Amino acid sequence: MIVCVAVVGHQNNPLYLQSFTEADDALKLHHVVHCSLDVIDERVNNPKRNAPALNETFLGLLYPTENYKVYGYLTNTKVKFIMVTTDLDVKDADARNFFRKFHAAYVDAVSNPFHVPGKKIASRSFGARVSTIVKSFGSGTTA
Amino acid sequence: MNLLALPDFSKASILARTAKTRDPLAPPPPPAGILKKDWLLKHRTRVPAAVAAMFRADQVSGDPAQWLQACSDLENLKSVIQGRNTKLVVILVQSQAGDELGEDVTVALRKRAEIDSKHLVVLVERDETEWTKSLNKLTSVFTELCTTYYKDEGRRIKSRIEKRNFSSVELSIRYCFKVAVYAEFRRDWPEALKFYEEGIRVLREMVGTSTRLPPTQHLVEVKAIAEQFHFKISTILLHGGKVVEAITWFRKHIRSYERVVGSPEIAFLHWEWFSRQFLVFGELIETTAATVPDTLSPRFGTADNVLTEWEFQPAYYYQLAANYLREKRYALECSSSSVNLTEGVNGLPESVMPSVYVGQYVRLFEQGDTVAVLPLSDTEYTSYALSEAERFQDSYEIIALFRKAYESFQSLGATRMASVCSGGMAIEYYAAGDFSNAKQLFDGTAGIYRQEGWTTLLWENLGYLRECARRLNSLKDFIGYSLEMAALPLFSSSGQGNSSENKRKNGPAGSPTISSRESTQQEVINILEGKRTSEITDDGSNFHLMEESTHIDIDQISPLRMVLVACVAFHDQSVKPGSPMLVSVSLQSHLPCPVMIDKLEVQFNQSGCNFVIVSAQEDCSVSNPHADVATQTTSLTLFTDKWLRLTHEVKPGKSGKLECLSVKATISKRLVVCCQAESPVSMEEFPLWKFEDQVETLPTKDNVLAFSGQKLIQVEEPDAQVDLLLDSTGPALVGELFTVPVTVLSKGHAVHSGELKINLVDAKGGGLLMSPREAEESESHDVELLGVSAVTAENGSKEEVDNIRKIQHSFGVVSVPTLCAGDSWSCKLEIKWHQAKSVMLYVSFGYSLDSTEEAALHRLNVHRSLQIEGKIPMIVGHQFLRPFRREPLLLSRIRSSSGDDKKGSLALNESNMLIVSARNCTEVPLCLHAMTIEPNDNGKQLFSVEQISGISNECPVIGPSEEYKGIFSVNPRVVSSSFCLGEIWLSWSRDSTLGESQDNRVIMKEMLPEVHIEEPPLVVTMECPPYAILGTPFTFHVKIYNSTSLLQEIKYSLVDSQNFVFSGAHNHAASILPKTEHIVSHKLVPLGSGSQQLPRITVTSVRYSAALTPPASAATVFVYPSEPKFNLEKGYSTTDACVS
Repeated sequence: MIVCVAVVGHQNNPLYLQSFTEADDALKLHHVVHCSLDVIDERVNNPKRNAPALNETFLGLLYPTENYKVYGYLTNTKVKFIMVTTDLDVKDADARNFFRKFHAAYVDAVSNPFHVPGKKIASRSFGARVSTIVKSFGSGTTA
Repeated sequence: MNLLALPDFSKASILARTAKTRDPLAPPPPPAGILKKDWLLKHRTRVPAAVAAMFRADQVSGDPAQWLQACSDLENLKSVIQGRNTKLVVILVQSQAGDELGEDVTVALRKRAEIDSKHLVVLVERDETEWTKSLNKLTSVFTELCTTYYKDEGRRIKSRIEKRNFSSVELSIRYCFKVAVYAEFRRDWPEALKFYEEGIRVLREMVGTSTRLPPTQHLVEVKAIAEQFHFKISTILLHGGKVVEAITWFRKHIRSYERVVGSPEIAFLHWEWFSRQFLVFGELIETTAATVPDTLSPRFGTADNVLTEWEFQPAYYYQLAANYLREKRYALECSSSSVNLTEGVNGLPESVMPSVYVGQYVRLFEQGDTVAVLPLSDTEYTSYALSEAERFQDSYEIIALFRKAYESFQSLGATRMASVCSGGMAIEYYAAGDFSNAKQLFDGTAGIYRQEGWTTLLWENLGYLRECARRLNSLKDFIGYSLEMAALPLFSSSGQGNSSENKRKNGPAGSPTISSRESTQQEVINILEGKRTSEITDDGSNFHLMEESTHIDIDQISPLRMVLVACVAFHDQSVKPGSPMLVSVSLQSHLPCPVMIDKLEVQFNQSGCNFVIVSAQEDCSVSNPHADVATQTTSLTLFTDKWLRLTHEVKPGKSGKLECLSVKATISKRLVVCCQAESPVSMEEFPLWKFEDQVETLPTKDNVLAFSGQKLIQVEEPDAQVDLLLDSTGPALVGELFTVPVTVLSKGHAVHSGELKINLVDAKGGGLLMSPREAEESESHDVELLGVSAVTAENGSKEEVDNIRKIQHSFGVVSVPTLCAGDSWSCKLEIKWHQAKSVMLYVSFGYSLDSTEEAALHRLNVHRSLQIEGKIPMIVGHQFLRPFRREPLLLSRIRSSSGDDKKGSLALNESNMLIVSARNCTEVPLCLHAMTIEPNDNGKQLFSVEQISGISNECPVIGPSEEYKGIFSVNPRVVSSSFCLGEIWLSWSRDSTLGESQDNRVIMKEMLPEVHIEEPPLVVTMECPPYAILGTPFTFHVKIYNSTSLLQEIKYSLVDSQNFVFSGAHNHAASILPKTEHIVSHKLVPLGSGSQQLPRITVTSVRYSAALTPPASAATVFVYPSEPKFNLEKGYSTTDACVS
């Protein structure tokens, strides 16, 4: 189950962060997402290691912490997507598929002429769309 | 391999088996536990794999009594190790290799000991090579024996596992452990690993199935065993360099025990154990210095490589260990509070101690002399564990773990992770009541959250900080943190009530919501107004409001900029002192509730401009301490995110920079917020609010001002009220001392410490006439500033200014005495031109209004400039002429026909004419005082100069473009090919009739060219009357003088002239003796009147083949029609005219 998704901007500032848990651990998820930026920095700033994955946007599992697993994704405009899940076994393909759909939703949201780039995403329709994507995660369909 | 050395054979009994009083026929009782605590210790120190008996050679060879003693010792040893598989070795120590031991002795010894021959080792003490050789042999013997022993033991137990020859799961696990340990003893790592893994697998299956112990204790035991197994496996893997396998194994281990928490009362035990797993694994990784293997795919976290970077870092495990230990602390708090409520003082079991089995606890029960060991019930165990756990200060351990992780992450460059650790430390300090340490750490972590805009995390942090400030009784900090919290932009999501669970997770501030922001702000206002709120009294601490107000400073980098920002813009770019101008003060706050400002003070760097605005709601009778400060009353209420714009008029008093420094807002009388003023043009975005999706507003209504307004303005200098006059009389002439009068005329300002700067600049090409360096190098300057002379007003006499500070060739500084208003001061600049050049004269006059130091900073300046042409006053020319009708034959002139040599030629001992002309090329009349030829020093004796005509007593005045001529006769007395005649000296001045001062005579020098002086071999002189009368015959002589000592042959010819008839030969030749003169005479009768050309005579020297024809002017005579009548003087002037 996905417990949290986040969009992080250029200055490592949160643009969108939504948690999907019953429990009130929003703060903890904020911490988890914030810390994962260190791993993203490490992976992105280490081009030697990532040479074969030059155009790869999917960053994979960033780190496991307590009972969460954190996955990352970096768009071409260097906006970071972060997903936190409690599932023990996440297939790479599922995570990739999730991020692809999420990316599409993000692109639609920032293409809104009333959205100012670099500001928080406050669009409700984006939120609704993200909820749908989150719910469909792990259902096995790649549609 | 462990080695135990015993001093003599009497101690051998410690190796003996402890006697077990067990009935061999009875079935074995069910095992009371899985592993005995001392089993491993026993096998490491007390159960030997091989025993060596050591004898000195003399003990077994010589004395029979000793031999017997040795035999009995050996028997004893054998009986001790009987029943075990322990191997025996006998060592004989010889002092030298030469000491031959009898074969029979060794055989006897072997038989006694019942050992193979190779298990009897002879050590040779004194021989180096033998010694090492025998030691090596001993080593190999021991190794072999040990390996055999442990292999046998292992095989024995392994067979039980394989045959499933055991009665319970516990035994199976125990056997696995034993086999693995034996394998480890003989360094068979794969087998050790295999049986450890098998054991832990069986163990995991055992959870919840066994009923031997009450469930809680059972779980504790299982975990303790699992920990031991896991430690073994991790160590073997890590030491074998299998980092990836170790980490994967650890993941598996964690996953399988993650959820096995047990009952809530003993959850703390689980978390403590869980935390220990991370700590131990972290330490293992750290001690083995595990690195990421090269063979691993660099794509961490993907299907290629499921591990992540941090799992290779011990810091990651320390951080999680700290997290879980904190979890333990929370669980412990819950458990102890519930136990205290229910049980009170009841039933803390006494004398509980760890049992002989790993992970088990028992109670010692003493009854008289017998000590019984009784099992515990779960309840008893729980309260025992609780009381044990409460004795420990977990906080400090958590802090230590976090600190370790923090330092490690910091060095890895993972600042965010490090800040989480530092936040964890801070929370522990906070929980432990160490608020100053907590505050310091929280302040550090708040920085990164502020920087990256993680407001939810910042909110938590500030919540703690606020409480720390409250506990530390620091009102200023408390207000600062509270206001920052209230002004934070928040994520719209989240927001439950403020339950205690919520407080545990979100810190003392609860979850960030609009309402909590508002209540935070309200709390500050309440404190300031002295109202008590229930929340504060709850906590038992309250702030003592002090009489004086609290000051908060906000600058451009302060996080409190969100609370209040002041933007100040002047409406103009520059202003004159004393004239009014408008200044806009705009204020904005992000606080959620409207802010009422009592008083607003705006401060400038010129305190005279400060003003205060008092809110209309305030009592206007509040006495204003600054009577001169303008006071206005307006409604000063700041609404959220709305600019409060105020415009005020200020009058700058002094010139220079006027800058708005700060805006002080007084809120609720006691809080003074001092905002550094910002310019709209350079105003930055609000640090956290810039990410918010909201409409941005401008600080001023005027768009231009909002984008270009400045908080500082340049107040100009007052207009100078001093005039500076420069005079000049037309162009300057080269050579003269040209004076330029400069007058400083005060027209209202008193002049103090005035200073006149003079600068001469080439008018054509920019820059100075000469660069300072050039001026040093060369002495000559085209234009030179020679001096400045001041004219004092009192006596009008000229005197040199003694306070000239500095005069250079093109630059001068002169100080001007103090002048009262209306006074004037003048001076003259003396400039000399060496070359004709056009020059710009720049004069600037700087002064201050009074003599104080402050005024010295504000100097007023007046600048004037004047272009002055420098002109050459006269053009001097000269011309050499020969005497009238006397032609010396100058051979050089004939020969130098090629024209290379342009030198003039003069005849020796003849008077040569020199005409010097001076043309005035200025526009003013000049007075010529003298015109002389000044020969060189050595030239004086060599020739004589005689002035024939020129300057008489009264010096002539030459008008513009007039020419003056002077005639000199030059008589050289020496032959020279290049003879220097000297210089023409002209002494001139401006025409004094125009009122100029008289003494400014200028001597102008002009060099005469070098001439060639030679002796003429022949001189032809023509003699002819001054005039002729029509029809009256006259004689025309041509005298040819031979000045050589040779006979000269000449020819001459005469050409007919139509105006004359003459008698004599047309062509003739003659010879002239040395130093004699030959005269050719012709009689002529003029036929026409007027100026007539005489018949042309050409004299040719045969020797020099040079022809000489007198010039036409010399061969002309005026013929009167009849005898003229004129007086003598007129005749003289006629001659003169003829000459000219």
